[in-house]
Amino acid sequence: MYNRGQVMDMDMLKDRKILVVDDEPPLRQMLDALLRKEGFYRIYMAQDGASALACIRTDKPELVILDVMLPDMDGFELLAAIRRFSSVPVLYLSARGEDEDRLLGLGLGADDYMVKPFLPRELLLRVMAIMKRVYAPVVAESLPSFILGACSVDLEQATIQREGSELSLTPKERGLLLKLYEHRGRIVTTDALCQAVWGDDAYSYENTLMVHIRRIREKIERDASSPQHLLTVRGLGYKLIVKETS
Amino acid sequence: MEGVVRILRRFMSMTLLMFALLLVVNIALLAGLIFKNMNQSPSQDEVVRRVAADICNEADENMKCGSITEDLTAIGEKQEGSRAGEKAATASLYWLGAKGKRLLEEHGAWMMLLGSDGQVVANYELPDDIPRSYGVLDAVRFSRHYLLDYPVSSWQRGELLTVVGYPKTSVAKYQLALPVEWVSTLPQRALLLLLSNVLIGLLLALLIGMRMLKAIRPLARGILALSREEPVHVEPKGVLGDLAQSINSVSEKLQASSLALKQRDEARSNWIAGISHDIRTPLSMVLGYASELEEHDEVPAEQRQQAGIIRQQGEKLRHLVSDLNLVSMLEYEMQPLHIKTLRLSALARLAASDLLNHGLDARFSLSLREMDERVRVQGDERLLLRAISNLLNNSIRHNPQGCELFLAVCKKQDLPGRCELIVEDSGRGVPEEELPKLLDLPYSSARRRLAAGGHGLGLPMVARIAWAHQGRLELLPRSGGGLIARLELPCEE
Repeated sequence: MYNRGQVMDMDMLKDRKILVVDDEPPLRQMLDALLRKEGFYRIYMAQDGASALACIRTDKPELVILDVMLPDMDGFELLAAIRRFSSVPVLYLSARGEDEDRLLGLGLGADDYMVKPFLPRELLLRVMAIMKRVYAPVVAESLPSFILGACSVDLEQATIQREGSELSLTPKERGLLLKLYEHRGRIVTTDALCQAVWGDDAYSYENTLMVHIRRIREKIERDASSPQHLLTVRGLGYKLIVKETS
Repeated sequence: MEGVVRILRRFMSMTLLMFALLLVVNIALLAGLIFKNMNQSPSQDEVVRRVAADICNEADENMKCGSITEDLTAIGEKQEGSRAGEKAATASLYWLGAKGKRLLEEHGAWMMLLGSDGQVVANYELPDDIPRSYGVLDAVRFSRHYLLDYPVSSWQRGELLTVVGYPKTSVAKYQLALPVEWVSTLPQRALLLLLSNVLIGLLLALLIGMRMLKAIRPLARGILALSREEPVHVEPKGVLGDLAQSINSVSEKLQASSLALKQRDEARSNWIAGISHDIRTPLSMVLGYASELEEHDEVPAEQRQQAGIIRQQGEKLRHLVSDLNLVSMLEYEMQPLHIKTLRLSALARLAASDLLNHGLDARFSLSLREMDERVRVQGDERLLLRAISNLLNNSIRHNPQGCELFLAVCKKQDLPGRCELIVEDSGRGVPEEELPKLLDLPYSSARRRLAAGGHGLGLPMVARIAWAHQGRLELLPRSGGGLIARLELPCEE
C-alpha cells in the first residue's frame, strides 16, 4: 500500500499526510500549529474513533498520532480496528504513562508511544524518525561512516582509511564501534557493550572486551596507550568522542 | 492444628486421671459401705467354736476349763424339762461358761449338743419346734444349711457335736464350692479386670476426645484462617455452634473491612492516576506553547527567556505528576512489576553513566567502590534504575556546595540471600533523628515539613520500590559528614 522503497529527502517526507486523533480541541489545534510550523501541511483531524476510522479509509493518511482515551473507544481498540485494513504507522500520544499502557500500545503494533505532557521538539523528532524509518528505508539501512581524527571509519564496509592505508574491522570490532557511535559522546557501560556483541548478560566477557577495545584503539588512535577518541571511563565503560564534521 | 492435638492430649490425660481416681474411690466405697456389717465379729464359726470350748461336764478332761467358769448353767436341768429325755437323762451334766452364754445372748442364738447317737444331750434356749433326735442324713443336711429355717453352725467337740442356731432370717448362708484353679488364678484375673478397666477408660477418653476434637477442629482451622485474613466459614452445628457462628461473623467483618480498605486504596490510587491524567493534557499545551515561544525568532530575547522558565517549570510539574503517580501506585501496591534477573552492578553502572551522560557538574565527583559482579536480583529493571538514580540525585540536590559520591554493590556478610547497593556522599548529611522521617510520604503526619529544593517524593519512592522487591532502604549518617543510603534487596545465592 505504501511505497516504502522509494528514496526521499526530508522535504519530501513533509508532503506526507498526517492524521491527528484527540478529543481535546485545544490540543488538536496546538499539534496542528506545531506540525504546520515544521513544514507538514496535509494534516487531518479526528475527535473520536469512528471519524478516525472513516478518515483513514478515505484520506489514507501516512502517519497517525493517536490519543489513548477517546470518547467512543479506547486507542488500543482503535489501533486493532485500523490494523485490520491498514498498516499505517501509528504514534501514541497518551496521558496514561503507565508501563502497562506503553507495552500494550507497542505490543499492538504502534511505532512509538509518547506520554503527555511532551515537548514539541521531542514529538517532531519522533514523527520524523518514524517517517524516515517507514518511508526512507534505504538510507536508514546503511551503517554510518564517520571521521575520527586522522582516520575515517566506514562501518558499512567494516574498513578504516588511515594515512592512505586501509585496515579492516572484525565483526566484533565493528559491532562495538557501532554501539559506541550510536551513543557517541556518552558513556556506554561495559555491560551494554558486552550485551551488544555477545548477547544476554555476558559479563564474563569483560576481559575479552578489553582486548577488543585495545585492538580498536591500535587501529584508530595515533597512540593506543593515550587514546583521544575511544576513552575509558574507569569502572563504568567507554566513550567514543566524534567531532561532527558534516 | 498442633494446638488441637495438644488439647486432645491434655484432655486424655485428664480423663485418665479422673478415671483412676474414680476407681480408687469406688474400691474404697466398696470396702467401706458394702462389706461393712457383713461379718459381725466374731463370725458364726468363731461363735460356735468358742461356745463349744466353754462347755464343760464332769467326766470331761476339760474339767479344768469348767472350773474356771464361775457362773455355771446346768444344761441337764433344761433337758430334764424337755419332752424327749429317755437315754440322755442318764448323761452327765454339762455346763455352759459365762462367756459362752453371753455370746449366745448377744446373738439371740440357741445351742444344743448332739451325742454320737444323734440325740440331743444338752441344750440352751432350744426352741420347741426343733427335733431332739437326728439321723445321719439330718445332721449332714443342717451342718451347712438351715435347721428348720434356723441358720445353724456346728462344731465338733470330742464325741459331741455342738450346734448353735440363730434366729430365723437373721443370717443368709451360702455354700461356696470353688475350683482350686479359679481361686489360684484370682489375682491374675483381678489384674486383668483392672487392666481392661483402664483400657476401656482409655478408649472412652479417646472416643470422647476425638468427638471433641472433631467439633473443635473446624473452629481451630477457622481461627487459624482468621489470623491469615482468609475468608472463613465454619458449619455452625454441634455443641460449639455458637462459637462457630461468632467465628463466621468475625470473618465476615474482617473480610468486609479489608475489602473496604482495598477499595479505598484503589479509589485513592485511581483518583491520583485520574488527576495526573487530567493534568497531563493541559500541561502538554503549556509546554508546547512555551517552548514554541522560546524558539520563536520574532519574540524578544527577554520574553523568550521567560517562556523558557515557563517550560522548565512545566517540565518540573511533569516529573512531579509522574512521580506522584508512581509513588501512589507503589504505596497502594498497584504498580505492576516486570521481574527479571538483573545484575545489580550493571544496573549501578548504568545509573552512574546516565548521571554522567546528562552532565555532572564539576563540583561533584562520582566514583565506584566495591562492585560484586555476582550479585543478581529478581527485580523490575526500570524501577530499580529509578531507585538508584533517585539516591544519586538526592545527594546532588541536597548538596549544592558539591560533594563526592560513592557507589558500591555487595552481598550482605551477615545475611545470606541479601545484598545491598550503597550510595554514599560526603555532603552535609541529615541530623540522625530526621533520617527515618525521610522515608515517609511528604505531608503525612510524620513528615510535615520538606527540605528545601525537592518535592520530597524521591526517597519515599526508593523506599517503596525496595519494599515492592521485599527489600528495604536504610539511611545512615556518614562519619565525617554526609549520608549513606543502603538499598537492601534479596539476591540469588
